[in-house]
Amino acid sequence: MQKLVRGLAVAALIMLGIWVWRILFPSPEHVIRKLVGDLAETVSFDSKDGNISKAYKVSKLQDFFTVDVEIAVDVPGYPPHTFTGRDEITQALMAGQQRFRGLKVEFPDVNVKVSADKESAVVNLTAQANIAGDRDFGIMEFNFLLKKIEGKWKIYRIETVKTLSWRAPEIHERIAA
Amino acid sequence: MATDSNPSRFPRWLKIITIGRNPRLTLLRLAVLIGLVFLLREFVLIPIQIVGPSMLPTYQERGVNFVNRLAYLRSEPHRGDVVAIRYAGEHRMLMKRIIALPGETIEFRNGQVFINDKPLPEPYLATNYPSTWTIPPQQMGPDRYYVVGDNRTMPEVQHVKGAAARERIVGKVLLCKNLFAAWLSPH
Repeated sequence: MQKLVRGLAVAALIMLGIWVWRILFPSPEHVIRKLVGDLAETVSFDSKDGNISKAYKVSKLQDFFTVDVEIAVDVPGYPPHTFTGRDEITQALMAGQQRFRGLKVEFPDVNVKVSADKESAVVNLTAQANIAGDRDFGIMEFNFLLKKIEGKWKIYRIETVKTLSWRAPEIHERIAA
Repeated sequence: MATDSNPSRFPRWLKIITIGRNPRLTLLRLAVLIGLVFLLREFVLIPIQIVGPSMLPTYQERGVNFVNRLAYLRSEPHRGDVVAIRYAGEHRMLMKRIIALPGETIEFRNGQVFINDKPLPEPYLATNYPSTWTIPPQQMGPDRYYVVGDNRTMPEVQHVKGAAARERIVGKVLLCKNLFAAWLSPH
């Protein structure tokens, strides 16, 4: 019985060690998943958010992107549009905050693929956006392209993935490039 | 004469109903049941809730249904099948009907679908949901299936449709109508 207790204690210690190790030295995939989750929280807002909270989110948004970031959006029924640079993106968020009472963005499926040198990554994800007061929500698939700059992961391009497309997805080609 | 020094607060019949005659066996049954439900949920049937009007009137909004993952293990999808198509994962999926198969050419002419230049009969479409869509001919690639919703009264540009890669088709929608369809119907 004593041996069993000792064995369980050793197993628990090993698991605790692994848990602490992962917190202190997270894998690139873990860091990227957290970054993507934080991005969803940052672009989301609701009617209860005050002006200071909204302004903080706008300033925080810059941390996720490179200076020359590009976001190419192709929504069915609308002409394609590309946002270029961090300033245009923050202006778009401010415009959204003024126009809508609230916006909830979620990424229910996130697939991360890190390059062999661990300096770049592609994230393929499903984005769901719900405007406050609207019963329906929009769902789209995106590819986020990231690279490491001064030890921090930054998004340098976001592009819409055409889920129903004539062409095969290019995610593996991108990661190899 | 034996006496019970610690009489239970619950009557015996209530114990039998709640935990059975043999609690260990009940626990084992419960574990097996939970395991089976988990396996069924993970590898066979995915429960879904329908959101959006694109499959009206065949499938009502907010309806509950299931996706059978095993439907295409031994055979390829057929024309007319209602299938679930994944985005980046399976937490959100598209629900559409297959109307053109790999290699075929599809065209919409004033609402009528043509496959390889021959009109496609679509008995599943409601007569009170007329369509005026016109889309030029497109040929499917070797692993592409053309999918579209049953509600073609929607403006064509707002209706999500197109060529789905075979690898994105998760399975076949199990029920012809939603569960609780009678409750969801506006009539």
